Amino acid sequence: MKRNHSHPQKHIITYSTPSPGAATSSVTGGDVTEKGKNMWDEEDAGVDELLAMLGYKVKSADMVDVAQKIEHLEGVLGNDDGLSQIASDSVHYNPSDLNSWLESMICELNPSPEPPMIDDSFMNATLPDSELQAIAGNAIYPPLKKLKPNCSSSSSSASASASSSYNPNPNNQNQVVLVDSQENGIRLVHTLMACAEAVQQENFQLAESLVKQAGLLAVSQAGAMRKVATCFAEALARRIYRLSPQTPQDPPAFSDLLQMHFYETCPYLKFAHFTANQAILEAFAGKKKVHVIDFGMKQGMQWPALMQALALRPGGPPTFRLTGIGPPSGDNTDHLQEVGWKLAQLAETIHVKFEFRGFIAGSLADLEPAMFDLRTDEVLAVNSVFELHQLLARPGAIEKVLSAVKEMKPEILTVVEQEANHNGLNFLERFTESLHYYSTLFDSLESSGTGSGGLDGGGISPVTNQDKFMSEVYLGKQICNVVACEGTDRVERHETLTQWNNRLDSAGFEAVHLGSNAFKQASMLLALFAGGDGYRVEEDNGCLMLGWHTRPLITTSAWKIQ
Amino acid sequence: MFPINDHVDLLIEVLQRLDGRSLGAAACVCRQWCSIVRNDSLWEHLCFRQLSPPPSVGTRSVVLALGGYRRLYMVCVRPVVSRLKAGESEVVRRVWNQREMELTLSLFCVEYYERLLGGGGVVGGGESPAKSLKFLCQAVNVGL
Repeated sequence: MKRNHSHPQKHIITYSTPSPGAATSSVTGGDVTEKGKNMWDEEDAGVDELLAMLGYKVKSADMVDVAQKIEHLEGVLGNDDGLSQIASDSVHYNPSDLNSWLESMICELNPSPEPPMIDDSFMNATLPDSELQAIAGNAIYPPLKKLKPNCSSSSSSASASASSSYNPNPNNQNQVVLVDSQENGIRLVHTLMACAEAVQQENFQLAESLVKQAGLLAVSQAGAMRKVATCFAEALARRIYRLSPQTPQDPPAFSDLLQMHFYETCPYLKFAHFTANQAILEAFAGKKKVHVIDFGMKQGMQWPALMQALALRPGGPPTFRLTGIGPPSGDNTDHLQEVGWKLAQLAETIHVKFEFRGFIAGSLADLEPAMFDLRTDEVLAVNSVFELHQLLARPGAIEKVLSAVKEMKPEILTVVEQEANHNGLNFLERFTESLHYYSTLFDSLESSGTGSGGLDGGGISPVTNQDKFMSEVYLGKQICNVVACEGTDRVERHETLTQWNNRLDSAGFEAVHLGSNAFKQASMLLALFAGGDGYRVEEDNGCLMLGWHTRPLITTSAWKIQ
Repeated sequence: MFPINDHVDLLIEVLQRLDGRSLGAAACVCRQWCSIVRNDSLWEHLCFRQLSPPPSVGTRSVVLALGGYRRLYMVCVRPVVSRLKAGESEVVRRVWNQREMELTLSLFCVEYYERLLGGGGVVGGGESPAKSLKFLCQAVNVGL
């Protein structure tokens, strides 16, 4: 639908290059607030079709009217030269002033909760059909939708009263002025949500323009918000352009490396290991021969602590057998054997009899109990850290694995999983859930290494930027998988404790309460981390959850056969 | 004048009551003091003198195997205790309990393993801890 309206090219509220035959226009936020009451009062008569698709009802006739008012306003704003200079000098307007001033210009006594935005950052999206920009503009400013993201507060505290700006696209004649990054933060979230919605509705053209805008807005943010938004924008772009999953896949060695950095940067993995180890230790009390099967061996960082605890337990250490399972590596190195060898060296050092066996398996569902050489005089523990959710990608896999575990008759099964539902059928719900989850996670990452570092550490931040960056890459890959992949490629199918409870219950397991020892040890561990006051350990029906402020992020649970 | 250097047992009695920082300073006094302070049992005493009940028998062999008490103190005990009781002036005088000791030992073991993974030589390795402990404050090199 075209609105015939000719405007001079150079304005602060700009439009696409008008072509002779089809001059188009777009209107930005000002008109929305002015015509706010119209959007919500009027019925469908003569509404703008494109806006109606997004659920906003604006009369087409009113759009012209408002656009004219804005043009009048522009005349009052001053000549263009001053503005272009201002834009390039990155001057920022105080939004509250702008609001009152604009209102007086438009002579409409309709106080709006949001100041109108003079921002056309999205104009830099190069699209042939400029009407999509109009839609995007209004999608960003729905006056009554208040989606406050978790990290807008942290971004605002990080950026204080600073506004942000960026250089306008040199190819584009349009001027760009950004106002107040906190407002941008909210708009950014709205843009991401609108994009996800467009993707769900398979409106890929709209999604494409929105994702570009999101990418640009993300750059204007700081800290956690910026990183999360960039990751999600990239993931959405991958989905739109069907770029995922990447081929070739990352070699497991690289994923392990990323996870190592994540291990060092924040306490989630340490928490997982320590709490699982405590449950295993208690299950092994008094036993002389023990066997642990680790579903995700990686670098084996969990096992030194367990071996040390076994070495020092009253009565002396048992014979400790470890079976580690890992994915096939691209090159022909036997990565598992190397890890096993190092663990053996450690075991020898602390005088624990140790035996290691490695299994390479593409999927846990390929494993059979008979492979494990289970011995009758041994007590078995099965350990899974962030491995079970991947099985949900293939139908029947989780049931097969759980029944195999049951057949092996372990004394205990320890499960550590992300506490979130990223496996819903509805894409938009998944997107929203994961946006909140990873925002919280990135928030906590942001605080690591910025704590005071204790009394005599000299305040040096021990966590390097490289560690943080690699952790962000690690999380970014998860985000890409959740958002951009489908079917068997989408392996990051996180589920909540309640959901796992149901699965394990119906598979014939019952929960074992993790004791107060595990809780206290976990609390102590967290107290050691810089920024530690943000982390919370909670107990939920015998399971331990580690979260950031009020949001639980990972859960450790223990199970035995009913 | 009482030549303390002639009475090493007395000297050790005195040194046993010092905190880590003072022990480090003591090591700089002279060669004899330095060799005495390097004795790991002094650091063992420092690590666990406040521990009630005292650590189990096997602890010593494990700690020695993983790098010794001096390293344990510098890499783990000191940062852990200072982090856990931020605000106290005399860091090591507090009584610390079994659980804290267990956690500290576990972290020490993880650190040893990480240096193993890091490739090759672990024995006498650098004073700076492996990366998994970097989340604790930086170990201060007391100049030994």
